[in-house]
Amino acid sequence: MTSSVQSQKTQQLMIHFQNRFGEALLVPEQSYIMYGDTITINRFKYYVSHFELTNEQGKKIILPVQYYLIDAADSVSGNIILNIPIGQYRSIHFLLGVDSLRNVSGVQSGALDPLHGMFWTWNSGYIMAKLEGTATSSQIAGKQFTYHIGGFRGNNNTARSITLPLSVTNNKVSIITDAKKWFERPYPLIIAKEPVCHSPGTLAVSIANNYVNMFSILSQQK
Amino acid sequence: MKYRKTIGVIVVICLICISWVTGNQYFKPTPVKLMVPKGWSEPVYDFKSNPLTKEGIELGRQLFYDTRLSKDGTISCGTCHQQFGAFNTYDHSLSHGYNNSLSTRNAPGLFNLAWQKEFMWDGGINHLDLQPLAPITADTEMAESIQNVLSKLQAEKEYRRLFKAAFGDEKITTEKLTKAVSQFVLTFVSGNSKYDRVMQGVDTFILPEKLGYDIFKKKCVSCHTEPMFTDYSYRNIGMPIDPFLKDLGRMKITNDPMDSLKFKVPSLRNVMRSFPYGHDGRFFSVMTVMEHYRKNMVPDPRTDPLLQNRLPLSNFEIGQLTAFLHTLTDTSFLKNPNFAAPGKGISTTAPVDIHN
Ligand code: HEC
Ligand code: HEC
Repeated sequence: MTSSVQSQKTQQLMIHFQNRFGEALLVPEQSYIMYGDTITINRFKYYVSHFELTNEQGKKIILPVQYYLIDAADSVSGNIILNIPIGQYRSIHFLLGVDSLRNVSGVQSGALDPLHGMFWTWNSGYIMAKLEGTATSSQIAGKQFTYHIGGFRGNNNTARSITLPLSVTNNKVSIITDAKKWFERPYPLIIAKEPVCHSPGTLAVSIANNYVNMFSILSQQK
Repeated sequence: MKYRKTIGVIVVICLICISWVTGNQYFKPTPVKLMVPKGWSEPVYDFKSNPLTKEGIELGRQLFYDTRLSKDGTISCGTCHQQFGAFNTYDHSLSHGYNNSLSTRNAPGLFNLAWQKEFMWDGGINHLDLQPLAPITADTEMAESIQNVLSKLQAEKEYRRLFKAAFGDEKITTEKLTKAVSQFVLTFVSGNSKYDRVMQGVDTFILPEKLGYDIFKKKCVSCHTEPMFTDYSYRNIGMPIDPFLKDLGRMKITNDPMDSLKFKVPSLRNVMRSFPYGHDGRFFSVMTVMEHYRKNMVPDPRTDPLLQNRLPLSNFEIGQLTAFLHTLTDTSFLKNPNFAAPGKGISTTAPVDIHN
């Protein structure tokens, strides 16, 4: 069962995405140790969209479609305010990335404006998420790694549906986004072996199958 | 008494009119309808999301010919897409871009874009409005960032005026920029060649043209389908890979090995004006293309089933086919002053020194 938000009493839900690398806060140009490798993250950006909520009765509330680009270099971008019907909720759902329709509908504006550098111009489509930096283990120029993950067609789709528990009715929720998960499971991504991903395909899908695990709920305060 | 009341009413009406005009409510660009040649299907471009207007087309024309879209201010869309070559890069296998770089493909002619769903030789671009973003940001083309282009244009009073006239608002955005360029290039309709006039019954082929047309209908139309002279599919015609460009064509977009060396079937309209030929411009003349079809092609398992045994053509057939291809030249399109750089007279003959 679904219903739209119109013509109901609403409250605000403030979502804060807190970017991390493992346990530590993710700060651009700061270094982290991963499996003995020194890693510096220079860029971490991702789209979230299509927020939905499931209430205590198990009913799904679909919110009006909005796209947000979260950029680790811009802390404000991690704050999202949703107007939701007053009620009690047990889970929150969103899409990591941009749905296929927006990938085939020409030039978009706002968060989807191609000038944000999250759009491939030679092979039309959005970069759903981007992680760039340097690592001592990297074997390419500048010790870099650059992962631009996109692709929206069929098996190459890299947008991922996320569901997280929303145990209480507070109007604030903090979601942890852990970039380290990109390297972990189920696909062990080794920078020394695969420092670059710049097009849709198998590697992009493998990384998407990792980053689907990067979100978790931090805590909820009044 | 009655008199005074009338004056009062008139004054009120005048005040309303003034506030209407000054209060930015008054935005009414002039609609333009795309000319669809007789017997063609409806365009596939979604004009509802970007209605053609006189002001939008004019703005697009300014942008198309503006070198400020490139990093060093030397290259416009029109530099690589030249009207006398049906908007290809005339006489260049590859186009010259920023800082003496070369593009990796031959610039195709631009026309009848409203009927096309996918763009580029590999179909990588899925919407016409997205097309300008590729050359603007490519290092081997205009090498500029979208943000810089928007800032440069926003700083120009004339552009602010043109954007306001076309879209009702001075603020220049990626979306408005690209929609304006689309509006201009969408007007490039080429459907008035001798072939078209013959089909409409107002002209007749001379004998070699007629014989050429018959051969064409037997040997070429399955890919170069009328009336667009392409079916917009991707095909491998047995052109061996260039060892330097290493261009896999459609496979770059789909990752499907079956799509290796497939390229979009190009339209043959205005083909006599748009040499050199092939996705990397390797064919210098229509004659070399014919030699490819009948002799030089290297078929592999992914080469089109129609061409597994090459495409036998006699010298006689090549002569007639060539006569027919000449009937696809649309001079009213090549010389249409509305498509030329604004303020300049149209140059319909190729300049002697074409290396820019
Ligand atoms: C440096 C030369 C260069 C410049 C500048 C340039 N183009 Fe192109 N254009 C090309 C080449 C080369 C191709 C084919 C590329 C490919 O298939 O990969 C192309 C392809 C196209 C196509 C696709 C045509 C088709 O049938 O698929 C369109 C449309 C187009 N260009 C429009 C533009 C516009 C609009 C601009 C200005 C914003 C522009 N071009 C600037 C060289 C250029
Ligand atoms: C199996 C499909 C197919 C058939 C049949 C076919 N063509 Fe083509 N043609 C293509 C494709 C695909 C290309 C582009 C190849 C490339 O550059 O990679 C092409 C390119 C060309 C070009 C170069 C055009 C340009 O602008 O670069 C000419 C000229 C041409 N064909 C003429 C003909 C003629 C004449 C015939 C019939 C004798 C014919 N073709 C039959 C698919 C076909």
